[in-house]
Amino acid sequence: MVKPVSRREFLNLLAAAGGAGAVVKAGAALGIMPADAAASTLDLAAGNGRSAVILGGGISGLATAYELGKAGWDCTILEASHRCGGRIFTVRHGTLIDELGNRQYCEFDDEPHMYFNAGAARIPNTHRTLLGYCKKLGVELEIFINENKTCWVQDDAMLGGKPVRNIEYTTHLRGFVAEMMAKAMHETDMDEPFTEEEAGTLLGMIRSFGDLSEDNVYRGSSNAGYASGGFLSPGVQNDIIAFRDLLKTPFAMRLLSTNEGETGPILLQPRGGMDQITEGFLRQVGDRVSYRATVASIQVRDDGVEVAYDQDGARRQIRADYCFNCIPTHLVTGLDHNFPADYVRALKHVLRGEAYKAAFQAKERFWEKQDIYGGISWMNNRSQQIWYPVAGIHRQKGVILAAYDYGGGMYHTRMTQQERVEAHLADGEKVHADYRDLVEKPVTVGWHRMNHMLGCSARWRRSFREGWTGETEQHYRTLQAPVNGRHYMIGDQISMRSAWMESALLSAHWAMADLDRRLRNAPA
Amino acid sequence: MTRLALICLLCIPFLASAAEREPFDDRYCTTCHGTDGRGNEGVQAPRLAGMEPWYLKRQLENYRDGVRGAHPDDIEGLAMQPMAAGLTDESIQDIIEWAGGWNYVPAEHTISGDLDAGRALYQPCATCHGANAEGNEALGAPALAGQNDWYMVTQLRNFLAGYRGVHPRDVYGAQMRVMTTGLNGENDINNVVAYINSLSD
Ligand SMILES: Cc1cc2nc3c(=O)[nH]c(=O)nc-3n(C[C@H](O)[C@H](O)[C@H](O)COP(=O)(O)OP(=O)(O)OC[C@H]3O[C@@H](n4cnc5c(N)ncnc54)[C@H](O)[C@@H]3O)c2cc1C
Ligand code: HEC
Ligand code: HEC
Repeated sequence: MVKPVSRREFLNLLAAAGGAGAVVKAGAALGIMPADAAASTLDLAAGNGRSAVILGGGISGLATAYELGKAGWDCTILEASHRCGGRIFTVRHGTLIDELGNRQYCEFDDEPHMYFNAGAARIPNTHRTLLGYCKKLGVELEIFINENKTCWVQDDAMLGGKPVRNIEYTTHLRGFVAEMMAKAMHETDMDEPFTEEEAGTLLGMIRSFGDLSEDNVYRGSSNAGYASGGFLSPGVQNDIIAFRDLLKTPFAMRLLSTNEGETGPILLQPRGGMDQITEGFLRQVGDRVSYRATVASIQVRDDGVEVAYDQDGARRQIRADYCFNCIPTHLVTGLDHNFPADYVRALKHVLRGEAYKAAFQAKERFWEKQDIYGGISWMNNRSQQIWYPVAGIHRQKGVILAAYDYGGGMYHTRMTQQERVEAHLADGEKVHADYRDLVEKPVTVGWHRMNHMLGCSARWRRSFREGWTGETEQHYRTLQAPVNGRHYMIGDQISMRSAWMESALLSAHWAMADLDRRLRNAPA
Repeated sequence: MTRLALICLLCIPFLASAAEREPFDDRYCTTCHGTDGRGNEGVQAPRLAGMEPWYLKRQLENYRDGVRGAHPDDIEGLAMQPMAAGLTDESIQDIIEWAGGWNYVPAEHTISGDLDAGRALYQPCATCHGANAEGNEALGAPALAGQNDWYMVTQLRNFLAGYRGVHPRDVYGAQMRVMTTGLNGENDINNVVAYINSLSD
């Protein structure tokens, strides 16, 4: 029997099925996603020959050098790796993937569209600060396609493992959910009755949401695509997938939320790879960067900060008035430093996230023969996702993402390279039958083992359910504040929304604005 | 901005078309083990500075050969094992020389416990590890004084649980594993480690 549904529950259900609004507002409530404000911009006082040493050439460090440099500061960036960008990492022909224990060179063909964004890959349209920098730095953008309903959904438990188009899956799902909602409207005592007009509108919404027939029954929908015909002959509807079969896969929840909130349209990407953002900054501050310069010691003094770093087999020293530090917290704890105890406790509170990505070069763009141009196929297996490139449409070859495990990347990370590749081939051929023959030249990136990173993004919360506790927020405020007014931690790790470039930039802006305010207020 | 790099024949496995590729080497230990191998709690990687060369060598070989760090529940060991899996004998020798030049700083103490209980528990340990936990090469037992306390706790747990010291070729580990049977639970482990801490005060 259908359980009575209250109006509030009902509206919640509706929101869960189709609404994005709530998710976006939650971001604004966290104070990270600007609700309606303009991009964060800075108006710094003149540097007057002040100096800053910036530890780590992540996007937050680069932006700091750029902004302070513009204001006349003397900046130096110390970067441990051979490259800047950190978790902005585009892999293409010849790239060294510096994963400890599994170093690789990428052997993709040497062509501009043959690249793989192994770290950050998507820019939400609301990330105004980042988009603002792209504009200022001349980074050309194009649309990134996250949701493409022509892509596949595959689950061994559903339809004997046969992949179905996302559009079929979601159309039927909506149809059945709408049918239940329509029935519930008649059978339920609403705790607040609707007027007849309201009820009519609501029913209309439900019908169009699920493409129901007049009698509120779901009998399939042309939205799910035609099995044949449609242009010069009548379209033949695809068969309905039984509701029970749809329920055999837990995808229902996932698929309805993967294109909401920050990964909802519109998303963008730099043409030619995410590292075009890094390159854009380097065109401005590239001469300030010292590479393969690994910070070893940070000593905060009353009149400045002394930093020791290892380069070319020697330990070198640099002194600056101020220090901005985007080195991951879990690596800072291994450096020689004189930070206060509560700061160290806060550094230790932050755990490192796990993430894993892999990609193949495809010998031909086999997905385009299936009408797929960009977007994601979802698999209910450990490789989880296949991303099809927007770059290079209708060319011979392309680079596809073969796996993306965001939450539990250790499963693949713990495998050898061979085992990883075999796992992705076995998972992917469930969606594309001749996958194994069509792909080559794998690259895999276990972020937990990437040199000088050893993680994906900072984990402040101990559980998703618990969210931010008072204690956690206390640690966060401790790390956000400068040590002795001289040393600032920056990066997306110093935000309440880690794993976004926008957060990294906003954190750097916060630190610079804080220092600027203190300098302006200081007695001359 | 990638820098032009020289070919490093030793470390680049792809000899063909390897020209101008970014080089890398095996001296990457300090990314995890911290400045001068001082240990880093943030990644649970212990102090290596000041470590006896014979002990360092044995552990690297054990990891490389899957004698240590192979148990599926040995989370920290599984993090370290692949870091040694590809090391050649020459690399191990090079690392030992490199580590010999590191500045040794005794690890900071993060654990406290009942020192009297700890002293009593430590008595049998002293036979091999020495009264001041300074180690004993003849018995193959490393120094414990100055090592990160959180790491020693993990090891004692791992010996007890059978994550370390159970491989048929882990002769020294097996000797040590027997000794942990006298430790009853977390309290004993804490107390004995707190006592070892006090030896490097
Ligand atoms: C798999 C993955 C997917 C992501 N997807 C997205 C996305 O789609 N959109 C998005 O906006 N964001 C995404 N992110 C997050 C985004 O990449 C980060 O938020 C952002 O790049 C972090 O920048 P940062 O300035 O904090 O520094 P980081 O990128 O963390 O850089 C830190 C720098 O410090 C250097 N360093 C470390 N140790 C030392 C030392 N001892 N001395 C000197 N330098 C040192 C490192 O080499 C590195 O360059 C993703 C991240 C990952 C891993
Ligand atoms: C990815 C991080 C990481 C890297 C890189 C790494 N290690 Fe480790 N190492 C660890 C962890 C974690 C442990 C602790 C294992 C445990 O608790 O059982 C460890 C343990 C060890 C031990 C055992 C110490 C003891 O007292 O028995 C040695 C020796 C060691 N590492 C040497 C090295 C050397 C040499 C390198 C460089 C070639 C290196 N490690 C690189 C993470 C790392
Ligand atoms: C019979 C000699 C012997 C005795 C007694 C002994 N140990 Fe050990 N211990 C060893 C040896 C040998 C090793 C090195 C094992 C290896 O090489 O893997 C070791 C290793 C350890 C380690 C790990 C060190 C590291 O760096 O990974 C700890 C911790 C330890 N012992 C603590 C103790 C404690 C506590 C006791 C007393 C309860 C004790 N040992 C008693 C021989 C002994």
